[in-house]
Amino acid sequence: MSDLRVLFVAHNHPTLHPGGAEAYALELYEEMRETPGIEPMMLARIGSNVARRRVSHPGTPFSSVNGDPGQQFVFTETEHFDFFTLTSRDKSLYSRHLTDYLLAHRPDVVHLQHTHFIGVDLVSQIRRVLPDAAIVYTLHEFLPICHRDGQMVRTSGDELCGEASPRRCNECFPELSPQAFFLRERFVKGHFANVDRFLAPSAQLMEKYVTWGIEEERIEVEEYGRRAPERRAGKPSQVRTPTNIGFFGQLSRFKGAEVMLDAMAMLEPDVDAHLWLHGANLELQSQEFQDDFAARTRDLRGRVSFRGSYEHSELPRLMEDLHWVLIPSIWWENSPLVIQEAFFHGRPIICSDIGGMAEKVSDGVDGIHFRAGDAVSLARTIERATKNARLWQKLRDGVSEPYAMDAHVTRLLELYEETIEQRKAVTVDA
Amino acid sequence: MPEVTRRTVRLTTETDLAVAADGSVELLTREHGDFDTAGDAAGEEELKALLRDELAGLEAERRAELLEGLAISDPHREAESVALSTQLFGLREVLRERLPVCVVDERQPVGLAVEGILAIDERSFWINGWAHDEDGQGQLAVVSPEGCRIDLSERAFRFERPDVVEFYAGLGAGGGREHGFTAFFELPAPSRLTAGWLVELRTSSGAAVEVQCPPANTDPQTIRGTILGELANHGALSGPLAAEHGRHALSRLQERIVGEAEIDSVDVYGEPPADPEVSIVVSLYRRLDFLEHQLLHFSTDPDLARAEFVYVLDSVEQREDLARRAAELFALYGLPFTVVNPTAGSGYAGANRLGISVARGEKLLLLNSDVIPDRPGWLGEMCRFYDENERIGALGPKLLYEDDSLQHAGLYYHRPPGGKVWENAHRFKGLHRHFPAAEVTQQVPALTAACVLIDRERYEEAGGLPLHYVQGDYEDSELCLRLESAGYENWYLASAELYHLEGQSYVAEVRRGPSEYNMWLHTEIWGERIAEIMESFDPHAAAGVA
Repeated sequence: MSDLRVLFVAHNHPTLHPGGAEAYALELYEEMRETPGIEPMMLARIGSNVARRRVSHPGTPFSSVNGDPGQQFVFTETEHFDFFTLTSRDKSLYSRHLTDYLLAHRPDVVHLQHTHFIGVDLVSQIRRVLPDAAIVYTLHEFLPICHRDGQMVRTSGDELCGEASPRRCNECFPELSPQAFFLRERFVKGHFANVDRFLAPSAQLMEKYVTWGIEEERIEVEEYGRRAPERRAGKPSQVRTPTNIGFFGQLSRFKGAEVMLDAMAMLEPDVDAHLWLHGANLELQSQEFQDDFAARTRDLRGRVSFRGSYEHSELPRLMEDLHWVLIPSIWWENSPLVIQEAFFHGRPIICSDIGGMAEKVSDGVDGIHFRAGDAVSLARTIERATKNARLWQKLRDGVSEPYAMDAHVTRLLELYEETIEQRKAVTVDA
Repeated sequence: MPEVTRRTVRLTTETDLAVAADGSVELLTREHGDFDTAGDAAGEEELKALLRDELAGLEAERRAELLEGLAISDPHREAESVALSTQLFGLREVLRERLPVCVVDERQPVGLAVEGILAIDERSFWINGWAHDEDGQGQLAVVSPEGCRIDLSERAFRFERPDVVEFYAGLGAGGGREHGFTAFFELPAPSRLTAGWLVELRTSSGAAVEVQCPPANTDPQTIRGTILGELANHGALSGPLAAEHGRHALSRLQERIVGEAEIDSVDVYGEPPADPEVSIVVSLYRRLDFLEHQLLHFSTDPDLARAEFVYVLDSVEQREDLARRAAELFALYGLPFTVVNPTAGSGYAGANRLGISVARGEKLLLLNSDVIPDRPGWLGEMCRFYDENERIGALGPKLLYEDDSLQHAGLYYHRPPGGKVWENAHRFKGLHRHFPAAEVTQQVPALTAACVLIDRERYEEAGGLPLHYVQGDYEDSELCLRLESAGYENWYLASAELYHLEGQSYVAEVRRGPSEYNMWLHTEIWGERIAEIMESFDPHAAAGVA
């Protein structure tokens, strides 16, 4: 039997620009490459917003990634992408270039990690060009549902949103008509009709897509599998003082940057806690946000330290300095990879009591929940964590090993086979 | 018949001016047959001599007669029309009696001003202005650049102009109060020059003045807006100005707009079915993105693979954009469709007529570009129902808003308390899509053309979509009323469901003026029949009307 050809499509590549979903996609590709009987391929979008110069060659959007024969960049112009309808205005991307790519590689499975900057039309085009191919789509956030960066947080007061509708979406974006939102939803769903199986890394994310209209039989929960780090961080060198709390990820509003700075500013002088910020992509935030962030971290000198961005390989060393990992997001999150990172290194988590965080971190078992968006609640939680060393030890003992990549790959391969069988039944009927 | 000696002078390469021995003049054209192709082409010099020596010296009354004769003589003036008009204008300037040019002065009782003249087509015009004289009884006449004189005194709609009343307040109230005049008028022969129009005023006491008109406006959009604006200003959308002037003017304008739009090219993407049961005709106006949405949703419905799609681009300036998109979208969706490119925009009815002229289906489905099906199968269902009842004229589905409330479950007519005009109303609009009464398939007075199925022959029998409404409104209702008059029934089919994102191509403000006029015109033509229909139709009941 020939190898199973699996194509992963991602909206970005970690070599261009850090990001959770793309880091996972690359890890998955690498794991599959080491799995016998599998021939993985990775197609990652590159574009004017992430590359310093136009990196494609004349007459083709394709170029190579670090010399790996299994990986390919596909270039799309950022300005050709319709961020509202999630489609490329340049349809030749599908009708010509991606069609050429699909016919040249003829994957048995296309596992879409993301279609941002490429467009949901890709799904239908895969189905047209390769009627037998299984199409699997991992959902990383709520972009197909929510125009507000896929966060499902309302524009007014950052209130959490549980359900999109043309009327509610128009309330968030008064300049876009309810009819426009209706067309957007129908358009995305029209293309999503060609997806055989959706994967949701968290149950709460799956529920929101089911509410939106994805049939339950087409979607299932499958957590991100992770490769265990080669080295685990040991116990923190200073167990008692100060209590070191680490934040990893993008410093943005939705990630709760303001909530954690507010909470640190509220701490009583006797609370001996220090917040270490390992933040990526600060330069992508608005100038106003950056200035505000700089001013507030300056005011909190001695309590908060900004340590810039980090490489994934540095995590064991960075974790070594920490007692707790903090996830203060004000949006639902999906299944934050930083939870798995923290758990690999035996660090309990302080997180918002909503969405993927509440689902993946058990309050009182391997972490503590605080009321999402509430700096007072976070300040009290930090105080509690600081003053109770036994609590830390108990929660550290409660941490279990994250879902392993090899188990994940085994499950995915089963799922690919099932889906291919289903497709055969469909194409034979037709 | 005795031979009449006459001289001919070449006016243009197509037309001669013939002067008979008795002094009468006429125009001879090449097409007419009596044009002497071998005749001398002396032209200008000889024409000047003729005018100077033989015509200019005639009595004023005689000159006026000659002028009138020339102006209304109606040779086949297709070729060189502007050139001929220019020559006629020259003749008019020699032959006509010149009146003193009116100087408007609040101490002089005789005052005259023309504020606008609109060239609706080459024979139909709209004029407005004001006149003041000592008793309000003066005679008004308008003279075309070619010399045609039309009396406005009897014809014009007169109304009070407070600004003019105030201007002449010092002279007392002798001049009456209705100084303003507005009129639609037609010429017996075409006029093609924008400059050169005159208006003359002759008062009861024998005073006479003239004024030059501003250049005639020929832009159909400006003309339409101006006329609708005047009708609205006089609060007279249903008054005499509308009935005696507005309706004729706007009908002519619509005819011109529709007449100027011909099919310039037809682009066929893919291979449409050889013998389609249904032709789906869609007019595209500005929102080309709707094409992509429709093709995406249509391409997944097997019923639609057997239909013919005809898209008519009514916003003609987007032709290249559409051609580019259409080719790419066909490459993606593989659903064959035809694009009709007209030479000019002609509005909803005009564009649909062009589309229907190339449609080959036995049935026509008129569809708006902002209609998206809820699920596959709707067209097959509509066709089956249509074929089961040979008395059906028009058949419409359930239409929904984006929030799953009802947009349309058939039309009925409503006259507000004390109102004179019938409004179109949609049954159960805004109620839930499964409101029980809207779940019942039944006969209704009319249907919206947002989505309506009609047998091709029955459509033709009813005369098709009427063209006299402004900017797409009430055509559907009139078509249904015509079908009803021809003995057919209009039906609502509850089980076919589509979404209609009503009014996304037009801004509501733009439509308000036309809408009031259209409503009035619709009642003017169909009011009596509508009253009879509504006698026996209960818009709130779900029971079938047999």
